Amino acid sequence: MSKPELWVIAERRLDHIEPTTQQLITKAKHLAGDQFHTVAILFEATTDHLENELTAYGPDEIRVVRDDRFPTATDAEHADALEQLVKKYQPNSILFGATITGRSIAPRLQAKLQTGLTADCLDLRFDDETLVATKPSYGDNIMCEIICPDHRPQMATVRPNTFVAEAADGAAEVTTDTVTFHPVDRLQVKAAVPVVNTATTVGDASRVVALGRGAASEATIDTATKLAEKLGGRIGVSRPLTDQERFTHDDQIGQSGNTIHPELILNFGISGAVQYLVGMQDSQTIVAVNSDKDAPIFDVADYGYVGDAPAFMSALLAQFV
Amino acid sequence: MKIVVCIKQVPETNDVTIDPVTHNLDRRGLAGVMNPFDKNAIELALHLKDTATDDVQVALLTMGPDDYAESLREGMAMGADEGYLLSDRAFAGADTLATGYVIAQALKKVGDADLILFGRQAVDADTGQVGPIVAEFLHQPQITYAASLRLSGKNEVTAERLLEDTKQTLVAQLPAVVSVRSELNTPRYPTPRNIQLSFEKPLTIWHHDDLDLDDSRLGQAGSPTIVTKVYAPKPVKRELTPLTGTPSEAASQLIKALKGRQLI
Repeated sequence: MSKPELWVIAERRLDHIEPTTQQLITKAKHLAGDQFHTVAILFEATTDHLENELTAYGPDEIRVVRDDRFPTATDAEHADALEQLVKKYQPNSILFGATITGRSIAPRLQAKLQTGLTADCLDLRFDDETLVATKPSYGDNIMCEIICPDHRPQMATVRPNTFVAEAADGAAEVTTDTVTFHPVDRLQVKAAVPVVNTATTVGDASRVVALGRGAASEATIDTATKLAEKLGGRIGVSRPLTDQERFTHDDQIGQSGNTIHPELILNFGISGAVQYLVGMQDSQTIVAVNSDKDAPIFDVADYGYVGDAPAFMSALLAQFV
Repeated sequence: MKIVVCIKQVPETNDVTIDPVTHNLDRRGLAGVMNPFDKNAIELALHLKDTATDDVQVALLTMGPDDYAESLREGMAMGADEGYLLSDRAFAGADTLATGYVIAQALKKVGDADLILFGRQAVDADTGQVGPIVAEFLHQPQITYAASLRLSGKNEVTAERLLEDTKQTLVAQLPAVVSVRSELNTPRYPTPRNIQLSFEKPLTIWHHDDLDLDDSRLGQAGSPTIVTKVYAPKPVKRELTPLTGTPSEAASQLIKALKGRQLI
């Protein structure tokens, strides 16, 4: 008997694969073991070869469906195409990135299939063939484990940067398939303009200088910007600083914002709410500077200094040559 | 033109805790408020009402216990014309699929909605799924995470949508379902006069028997997903190396440590 299929829905980001797709393939492979057949589902134009950006991550199979309408297809058109494949292959589970695209198509497909979908997951595991999805609620202050015991496929969207993509051995088999494209004429994409600089969310940075309430002055932000430049990194903020106009959701760490795991994070003036700590605790090296010696941030830090964050930052910047 | 804005009532704060004995969510003493993101959807509807040449009726719709009427009243105090509350024990325990089903059935009964609006997501469960589910059940096109929206013709809206990499301009023939980003607008506050008026506006409560429903699709029974465990995340402790002395001394200790880790 053939193995049940575990799908990752590949997503496009301009002319490339959205990184979350590769992260999910790695996770799917870990989850699958010998139990599941991992399949990346890829919709692309007839002249595209985005599968070349997936093979290195080693899914068992990359199933490519080509139609020149796919790159600009709307949510309903994508969901319709996916429904046709689901009916044909009956996968056990389907994973989407919890990107705007993933979070728009997945529930539409869920409604078509009348099955369960768990949103914005931070962890996944299988108990036999039941997918156990861990989802944050209440602004990441609470975690829920959610299952979908009696309906198939099981579906989840997974927060970007939750898992790390790893190249894997083994040749992925690239297969092609067809669906009937059903255009929805009532909704037209009239223009699609690439947005410059979208690759600069805090989740994309390998070094992060993180600022909280205790490091929020104009001068301190200026020092932090220079520090981030020296480190080849970027500024991130905890929730209180998103009230400042210059910082947006893209800069926020934790709280239904960006889960990050850079190789280095320097936390200045951040006491460490649970959702914040959970949002960055997988960083490789964690440094914390806070005037409160009992701040929870020190529990998860590798290096800590109890003292004035702005003064420490100035001293650190002065010593960088 | 008729616009229906679907809203949700949520706890006033996300600082909820877990009861250490029962492992249940401790929501005691937490008042309910309208989901903040839903106010952006209401504001969009009211803006269209203010600026359209035709008459625009704005209705609000929510599913939940009777006290969810408070959020409907608040939305009517902002300027919406009427409210619908879907309240029944049979609806309780619904996940997004079962919620979307009841809302879609209620929207059919409300009838003739040209535009159905949602906030981007609710701040408690953070799924953003009910809008697309309702759109699918009603066989309508959807525009999620709209960054702007205007009426661009008879029975037509033009919206901008910001994806991770692209700004899309979408044109939809109505009826359509739209969910909006919070950056879209700044919701208005209720004026004293509108607060007073809101108590005279119609608030319709529909129970189970008022709607055409398949009971197997309601509440817990109609929900494919089950929450098996609820817990407060516990950050993983690390062994802390303290940096000591003056800021300058501590900074030089850190630089040495980061060099040792080949980070600088």
